[in-house]
Amino acid sequence: MSVRLHPFRLLEPESLPEAVDALGRLDGEARLVAGGTALVAMIRLGLLKPDRLVSLHRVPALSRIGVEDGSLVLGAMATHADIERSGVVRDGWPLLAEAVRRVATPAIRTSGTIGGNLAYAEAASDPAPALLCLEAEVLVVGPGGERVVPIARFFRGFYEAALEAGEIVTAIRVPPSPAGARGGYVKFTSRSAEDKPLVGVAALVALDAAGRCIEARIGLGGAAPTPIRAHAAERALRGEALTDAAARAAAEAAAEHADPLSDLMGSAGYRREMIRVWVRRLLGAVRDGATWGSSASTSPGSRRSDR
Amino acid sequence: MTLAFTLNGRPCATETPEHWTVLDLLRDGLGLMGTKYGCGEGVCGTCTVLADGRPIRACLVLAAHVRGRSVVTVEGLEAEGRLDPLQTEFAERGAAQCGYCTPGIMLAAKALLLENPRPTEHQVREALAGNLCRCTGYTKIIAAVLAVAGSR
Repeated sequence: MSVRLHPFRLLEPESLPEAVDALGRLDGEARLVAGGTALVAMIRLGLLKPDRLVSLHRVPALSRIGVEDGSLVLGAMATHADIERSGVVRDGWPLLAEAVRRVATPAIRTSGTIGGNLAYAEAASDPAPALLCLEAEVLVVGPGGERVVPIARFFRGFYEAALEAGEIVTAIRVPPSPAGARGGYVKFTSRSAEDKPLVGVAALVALDAAGRCIEARIGLGGAAPTPIRAHAAERALRGEALTDAAARAAAEAAAEHADPLSDLMGSAGYRREMIRVWVRRLLGAVRDGATWGSSASTSPGSRRSDR
Repeated sequence: MTLAFTLNGRPCATETPEHWTVLDLLRDGLGLMGTKYGCGEGVCGTCTVLADGRPIRACLVLAAHVRGRSVVTVEGLEAEGRLDPLQTEFAERGAAQCGYCTPGIMLAAKALLLENPRPTEHQVREALAGNLCRCTGYTKIIAAVLAVAGSR
């Protein structure tokens, strides 16, 4: 038998100021809804009982995907399905295309949005580790006007984004990657292929002529209460060639400095071990040209990450 | 709340409570019982329908969010009294057992074939990931989808 949603009023503003106003009214609890893939499930489970939802579907221009001044700009309502199919994203930001393509299932990607994914602030986000590597910025509007939050400061805590009351994510801005960058995203699931990652690892490196890392960025999902950059692992790589020993050292550092949680997908200890395994394997694959950004690369997303 | 959209190729204008999902609207508002309620959380896939040719979870999408869009349910797969090739192959190959997952699986497969008429087996498996079947073991389901792809 079907379980109905706890009743709510649905507001459908047609501009951002109207949406900010609708969210900020002081009566009862309001929630913003984008694709609804997380929020509607939480309402169904009784975890939330908002008395009004403010939908962003009628606010124009929030689902655009384009390039402005060399940076990729994704409207907050751009869906995972649109991003994974975007030629602009696949050509210029293949790491993001690869990560977005691993989100849940095709039907969830049709509805789920990039802004919703980030605002949900789940530790086991697929796009977040990639966007951390890409040093994206989150554009926000609220009662106090507009502001730009570097993604490294956007995840404040367990399911908590750095959004104040009445604030709305409007877009994600992703700067161009360093010249000669290569990288990839691997997702390890412990239950089923379409599950959230037990551990997700994104890497973006740039090598000098001698093959040493002049840039090394590693983003982790499922490794802490929020998505994080693995700074200790990055330090272990900078100036080093991508040897097996360097990959192992970076993987050790990533595992040591992680702060994973235990849940039904796996224990903290298991997560730490899988961080060690998957950081090492991903760095090896990046070095061997098994990911995008090198002459031997396959097209983004066409390669399965398990091996 | 008034709502106008296209349902199985025909215009549909209806009244719906604001907190209803597409699944509530289809089954309880419009009496189309082919779309099934499974988990209610977007995990099992049995409520999958198409919106503008792409698969959605009817249990998670608010009815308001299909305003102006084109929705296809299992009732809309046949055309002019003729079954869709997916329906024919599922029937002839015994790809349905209890049948509860079948509407969602056929629509997930339909979405794949609309975008990619000649998918590989791997692509079929990826497209159907998240549509759970506890009877068949998937072998005949995959074979039925591949048969349709090969018959075009």
